[in-house]
Order: sequence, then structure tokens, then C-alpha cells
Amino acid sequence: MARPSPEARLRGIERQREQVLSHPLARGLRTDEVARHLAGLPKRRFPSIRYAERERGMPLLQPRGGTPIFEEQLRLTRMLSDAGADFVPLTIDSCTRHNQYDTASQLLRRSEEEGKAYLNGYPLVCHGHELTRQLYTGLDKPVSLRHGTPDARLLVELAIGSGIAEIEGGGLCYSLPYSEGFPVDRALLYWQYVDRVCALYSTPERPIHRESFGPLSATLVPPVIAIVIELVELLLAAEQGVLSFAVSFGQTGSFIQDVATAQVMRKLAREFLDEHGFAAMQVRLVYHQWMGQFPMQRERAAALIAGSAMVAGVIDADKVVVKTVDEALGVPRPEVNAEAVDSVRYVLRTFGTPAGVDSPAIQIEAALIESQVRSVMQAIFGLSGDAFWESVYRAFQMGWIDLPFSPHADNANKLVTMRDANRSIRIVEPGAVPVSAQDLVTERALLATRSDSEQKTYRRMLADIALMV
Amino acid sequence: MVAEVAPVDPPRLVIGVIGDDIHIVGNRIMQLALEESGCRVFNLRTRNRPEHFVQAALEVNAHAVFVSSLNGEGEHWCADFRRPFEALGLGHVLLYVGGNVVVGSRPEPEVVSLFKSYGFDRVYHQRPDIGAAIIDLFEDLKHGASQP
Repeated sequence: MARPSPEARLRGIERQREQVLSHPLARGLRTDEVARHLAGLPKRRFPSIRYAERERGMPLLQPRGGTPIFEEQLRLTRMLSDAGADFVPLTIDSCTRHNQYDTASQLLRRSEEEGKAYLNGYPLVCHGHELTRQLYTGLDKPVSLRHGTPDARLLVELAIGSGIAEIEGGGLCYSLPYSEGFPVDRALLYWQYVDRVCALYSTPERPIHRESFGPLSATLVPPVIAIVIELVELLLAAEQGVLSFAVSFGQTGSFIQDVATAQVMRKLAREFLDEHGFAAMQVRLVYHQWMGQFPMQRERAAALIAGSAMVAGVIDADKVVVKTVDEALGVPRPEVNAEAVDSVRYVLRTFGTPAGVDSPAIQIEAALIESQVRSVMQAIFGLSGDAFWESVYRAFQMGWIDLPFSPHADNANKLVTMRDANRSIRIVEPGAVPVSAQDLVTERALLATRSDSEQKTYRRMLADIALMV
Repeated sequence: MVAEVAPVDPPRLVIGVIGDDIHIVGNRIMQLALEESGCRVFNLRTRNRPEHFVQAALEVNAHAVFVSSLNGEGEHWCADFRRPFEALGLGHVLLYVGGNVVVGSRPEPEVVSLFKSYGFDRVYHQRPDIGAAIIDLFEDLKHGASQP
């Protein structure tokens, strides 16, 4: 049996670290020099400082954005910051995410020569940490690294070396939705390295902040799966000494389920941390605006973004990651990203959100989700293994952690979900996910409220996926 | 409506996404839809090369192959798609392709005739529902492909 424990902290990381940093693209990065750079940054470059200043009901705002050419990324950074983004994003291209630095370098050169983007993000490893630092000269707010990298060891070393103090990702959340074949046990181990490096650069006043990616496949993911993955990654980071962490989830499409998910995620994150001896860790809640298929019409996209902003206010998210009206049409232009920040801010300011919105339906939903999450977490804690990460890996192998619509070849795909009449995501077939018989009865009773049961399953599922279109 | 009964029992189908394309959602829905219609589905999932489809069709003695492309790489990978099937004596296998099979917006007739020239029997470019393809499949299994 392997519960999370500070004893699981990686020892002898130095040799692995030497190997990672011996890569030519590490360009001789020296960790003592990076530590000095971090100590000299404005305090508000650290997310925990910014989070502590937040007003209730006013989530901090973060757009998305990354583009290959340095000057363009600089322009994007300034434009987003000027538009009122509380966190500035740095989204990494997909070649770098797959550790294909040669291809990324070639496409970067071609982008620079032709003045046109041939990469879908900023190739940080190719640009290096010294140049990337210059993106943020004089910036007084946190920068967030957004990627999707199963092996992010070199990338994260260079990101922190660039003065980026928020690192998104995790062994499960960055492999199951993004990779078809990256071995999940290796991804978990590589993310232990990342967590450890974040902890080594952290001081109590200036912690490197970690965030997990709860939207996952963004397709009919039931709250129990999102919350279990978030809690697992939170605890794995805590084991390595991370002091500041955000759990997150994507808008479910159901108001009731969003409110209930936020309640349970907050409550259990704190409880499990305290129970396992990690009371010092600060935990935040991040809400992602609708991550599924977006309407093509900009007016409808704008309405969806505004509605989603209201939900973010109601659940009092610590941060909301915003979408743009061009979501369905491709990578948004910087101007459109800046407008998105402004319109979400407008909704949050204009409609003050009341504290503690609740209802009997929300309570039923929250109790159901909490019971399911506890069942799965207790089952994982009970698995054999020398370390918690091994128990997590075994839980995945056995299909106890089963992500709907994951492209990963090792994902069980036995869990089947569908929406009920409230649009909440219900478990139709649990597969091997260890939820109780009683909770399944409740799930099916709630699903019975749905009226189109004479339709073929695949048609109902298509309707569920295209919910917002 | 989808024909209720498949003409052969059960039709054996190979499905999968071609290229370095990781879009899994449509693939999972297709598997579900085809199985609900009584087909035996051999799903190659994502990131396939043409030879994966040929090999699988040989192994399972497939009646038809459904190739998907969501990111538009299909145009590159599907060129001359039927030739390796013929080389292995599988020229009779029905070949269907669908999704967002080319990059950018191009007129549908142009896209259809391009993929027909690659040897596909039917082409479904940017169609939201697989229902029509299942009707076509059951029709084609009776007397060969008929799409003009």
C-alpha cells in the first residue's frame, strides 16, 4: 500500500539533472544563476503573490497564446498584458511538446525567413532561456507555461530559467489527452522530476507554482475522473516539495455540475493534502471556459464565453482560462485574444456574483461526486507499490482511471458517459472505475430523465459532444 | 434511416485515422455507430500509415476500410491508396474516406474526384453524421460501389 508521503521525494536527482542540462540546447544553463535571476524578479511574477491579492468573486484572467517568432511573441505578450490579462501565457508548439527540437528549429528558421508561422506555438527550447527572459523585461505579473509535454524536463528547466514561475502539466493530464503512445509510467516519473525541480527553485516567499490540466480530453469527462486525476497530480507534486498548486477543470456544460465539481474539488484537495502531511501547500482552483466544440458564428461564441464567465464568477474560481470568438476558426489573432480578456472582465464586473450559490440539485450532485471520488481514491491508496506514483500507474493500467475519448493506446475505454436532462455528464457504464453500486444506481436514475432514449446511442453521443454548437 | 439489417453477417470493417493525426473523438463515435448497426469493427485508432490499413484488411478479411483524416493530412497519405490493396489481391475491398480530408476550404466535387482518383469508392468530406455512410455501405455490400 502506497499513500502519498514526503518520504517519496526523489533522491539523487542531480545526476539526471546533469544529463538533462548537458543537452546542447540547454546552452550551459546554470541552476545557481537561475536561482539568482528568480530572486531578483518582481514579487508579482510569482502566482501565489498574485492569487493572494485576488478579490472574492473576481477570478484572475488568463488568455492563451504562443507564436514562433520572438518579436511576434513579444508583441503578443505586451498586447495581452495591456488588455488586462492577470497571467501572461506562453503556449509551446507541438514539435517541442514531442521533444522534436530539430524539426522545431527548422520550422522556426523557416518562420523567421518567410515572416509566417509554421509552428503552432513558441519553441522555447530552440529560442533558449536568455532570449526568452527578454520577453518579460519589466513585466509585473506571472507568466504561465502551457504545453502538453509528456517529457517536459528540459523545457521546464529552460522555462524556469526564463523566469516563468507557473508550470502547467502532469504525468497523466499531459499524456492521456495528448499522446497516443508515450509510456504513462515514464510520463509520471518525468513529471516527478519536473515537480522536484520546481520545488528546488522554490522559497516560501517565491514558490514556483504548478498547475494541473483538468479539462483532459474535454469530451464527456465525468467529474469523478477529472477530480481524481487532479488530486493525484496535486499529491504527487506535494510529495516532491511543491508549495503552491492549482487544480483545474473544464466547463462541463451543466451549471449544476460545474458548481458541484468546484465544491468537491476544493474540499477534497485541502482534505487530502492535510491528511497526508502537506498542510503547508497552497491550493487554488482554475476554471477553463468551454473546451469542447465551439460555434462557428462569432456572436454565439461570444455568448458562450459570456455565459461561461458568469459560471466562473459563481464558483469563485481563482483563475479562469478564457476562450476567444475565433475558437472554431483556428489560432486566434492577438487582437481577438485581447478582446476576449476584456469581455470576460466586463461580465465579471457587471454582474457581481453572490457568495455560496447552492440548491438541492447541487447538493445531490456534489454528494454523488464526492462519494465517487472517495471510492476511487481509497482504491488507489490501497494498491500495492513502493511509491504512490506506482499505485497511480497500476490504477491506470487496470482501467480504474479511465479517460473517455483519450487517444492513448493504453487507456481502458470501458467507461461510458452521457448527458442527462440537466446536461450533467452521467456514468452509463463504469467499466473498471471503482465506484459503488449505490452511486451507479443514482447515476442511472438521473440519466433516466433524458427523453431521447429511442435514438441510437451514437446519435445521442454526437448531440452531447456538439452541445454548444 | 439506416437500413436495419446488414446484407452480410456481420460485415467486417477496418477503421482508423491516417497520418500523424491524433483526433480520436470521431473515430470512437464511428466505432460505436458501426457496431450498433451490426458490423464487426477492427479499429486501428489514431496515427496510421496506409500499410497499416492494408495489413489489417488482409488479416481480418475485411469487406470495407474506412479511413478518417481530421487534420487534412489525408491528401498526402491517401495518394494511390488502392494500389497496395490490389497488389495483395484485395482489390475487391470497399474503400471509404471521410473527415476534413484536405487542408483549407475547397469545393466538395473537386475533393471527391481527387480521392476517387486515389481509388476510393466513396468520399465524405466535412459531413457531420456517419449515418449516410452506413446506408451506403449496406447498399454497396449488395452490389458494389455506386456513388457517381
